[in-house]
Amino acid sequence: MNTVLPRIAARNLLRQKKRSTLLAGAIAFGIMIVTLINGFAGSFIQNVSENFAYLMGGHVFISGSEYTESGRRISVIRDDSIIMQALSESGQKWSSLQKTSETTATLIFEGKSISQNLTGIDLAHSAMLKERLALVSGSWDNLAWPNAIILSQSVAKKLNVLPGDTVVAQFQTVTGQNNVGEFRLAAVTVDSSFIGSIMTYVQLDYLNSLIGLGKNEYMSLGIMLDNLERSDAFATSLYTSMKGMGLQLFERSTQDENGAMTPFQAMIGSQNSEEWTGTQYRVFTVDDVLAQAKQIVVALDTASVAILIVLFAIVMIGISNSFRMAMYERIREIGTMRAVGVQRNEIRSMFLYEALFLALAGAVVGIILALVVMAILGLITFDPQSPVFLILKRGHLSFYLPPLRALGNIAIIAVLTLVAVYAPANAAAKMPPAEALRTVK
Amino acid sequence: MLSILLTKRNKPLNKLTVILLATMFGLAIGSMPVSAQAKPDPKALLKQLDDLSDFTGKDFSAVFTIVTQKPGEKESVTQTRVFRRDQKEQFLILILLPEVNKGQGYLREDDNVWFYDPTSRKFSHSSMKENLQNTKAKTSDFTLSSFTEDYTVTSMNEGMVGKFPVWVLDLKANTNEVAYDRVVLYIRQDRTMLLKREDYSVNGRLMRTTAYPKYVELEGKLLPSQILILDEINKGEKSQITMTEHSVAPLPDRVFTKAFLEQVSR
Repeated sequence: MNTVLPRIAARNLLRQKKRSTLLAGAIAFGIMIVTLINGFAGSFIQNVSENFAYLMGGHVFISGSEYTESGRRISVIRDDSIIMQALSESGQKWSSLQKTSETTATLIFEGKSISQNLTGIDLAHSAMLKERLALVSGSWDNLAWPNAIILSQSVAKKLNVLPGDTVVAQFQTVTGQNNVGEFRLAAVTVDSSFIGSIMTYVQLDYLNSLIGLGKNEYMSLGIMLDNLERSDAFATSLYTSMKGMGLQLFERSTQDENGAMTPFQAMIGSQNSEEWTGTQYRVFTVDDVLAQAKQIVVALDTASVAILIVLFAIVMIGISNSFRMAMYERIREIGTMRAVGVQRNEIRSMFLYEALFLALAGAVVGIILALVVMAILGLITFDPQSPVFLILKRGHLSFYLPPLRALGNIAIIAVLTLVAVYAPANAAAKMPPAEALRTVK
Repeated sequence: MLSILLTKRNKPLNKLTVILLATMFGLAIGSMPVSAQAKPDPKALLKQLDDLSDFTGKDFSAVFTIVTQKPGEKESVTQTRVFRRDQKEQFLILILLPEVNKGQGYLREDDNVWFYDPTSRKFSHSSMKENLQNTKAKTSDFTLSSFTEDYTVTSMNEGMVGKFPVWVLDLKANTNEVAYDRVVLYIRQDRTMLLKREDYSVNGRLMRTTAYPKYVELEGKLLPSQILILDEINKGEKSQITMTEHSVAPLPDRVFTKAFLEQVSR
């Protein structure tokens, strides 16, 4: 392989250190910005999905829906034995299962009140709670109380309530009747997040008895997987398994034509026009609920491409002019090279090699700079109450840059630089040697 | 009682004295307001109560001003204009105050209750059982009552509310879909007027007490013009509702439509 031309190109770049540094710096800045956007977009959906999976208690969910005698639709799973059978026959593996019932309640303590979403789970046996929640006061042992309630620190503070105190809750049953319950504060947790702080956990059995559900009934089954990316395949397999067992199921593939709704919203919407007898089940994933968040990722990626093009349109003009100047500066050198037998295409290649090295150096530096900035930004700890918590990973910004995307960006930069330099390189190549040698700077 | 009077004397009374005593006793019984009222049929009494709020064949409209007090909070005033057409069980509740919520509304269309928010220009599902704005009143407090349909009388006793003898009707919900599972009504004996109402939760806890201290007469029907609602769970929270500008003038059909609600909310 002829390495003379690349070596001359590299030498030429080093001869003009200041100019080369400025040009490579412009490329590096552009690629850094684009890489940061790509990195943010790459982790955005993953962080949002994982955070929601934690809040919702699963990656895949099954919920039941049935009509009361008067035609009111309620959410309930009365007998889950066939669901459990379908789960085991689906051949899929999961980390944990969580049965939940929910209601919105007004919590009242000594004249102070606050609206909360009560999530009923088996407190004493929930591994998720002990893994995810850190206690400020109270004890895990208190979770054995039949009317135990776990409040976040901010809610406990607003109500001015301490472990052992009894909080009154006012809410509606599944059929819409008003009811009241008394809950004993078992533990106060650290506010893990903005949404986490509004999550209040109570005993499933006690909540069921208050909202009109039976002891072994519940509203939703959350299935936690070892990997978020498996959720769609898991849901599809489970859906097929449940269908095969003769369970009534809402269509999973329901999509809104104009894309204004998530598949989950579209599924809920389509249910409003359906009627059925008995219990009909829906299987959905955290991604179905968050499909609109994916549109944000697409928008970010599109924006990054637009920024890439605009930034490099400006940079390319600068590179093209610089190379044209370089050509005039080296015109006698070009003439000499041509006179000693260097061919036109070799002169062109020499300029293109220079451009390619410049682009690669700039792109690599840009990516390294982006990684450094990502690492620094990742060190910043955000307030757990911050509304941006959903896009954070354990309270920190996180970035994920798909390798192919980084390589793609480098390729785009290389191609654009070569295009920008092609005209001056071609002009240098076509210059007659005698004319070049006669030129006086 | 008569026999006690008779036996307290050692010597027997003459015939005239016995007749006189019997007459006086009879008059005394007759003049006692509580025991004087024949016990009415509880179902008929409930029906009468429902009929009082029923303007079937006419339209009804009024302005309700709701003053709500909560401990540690500033008193809040909510004002609504209510339009009702009981014939079709339609209603429209338009929020006039507070200014920040002006233009919001509740519309009953068929079996659906819609809430309209002019900011988002969207309708969302609501319910008769939900509290109206930040008050202690429920949407159903402004609409046609349906005790006869929703409840069964489990007991009927006599009692007093202030100086008024009342029938105390204990009601149990017929289905598990009415807002309160148990309701106790205190109905004036001499004239069918609801003086007090107690609402209980599914597990039997008193949640709300409502007093009806003032009434006005409209088209021969008695309507409460002042209502006091006490939250029995969160003690100290209460709402006072005052009704003004009540009318049975006919309303255009378009009043009970989403389009009207959108139009007046602009």
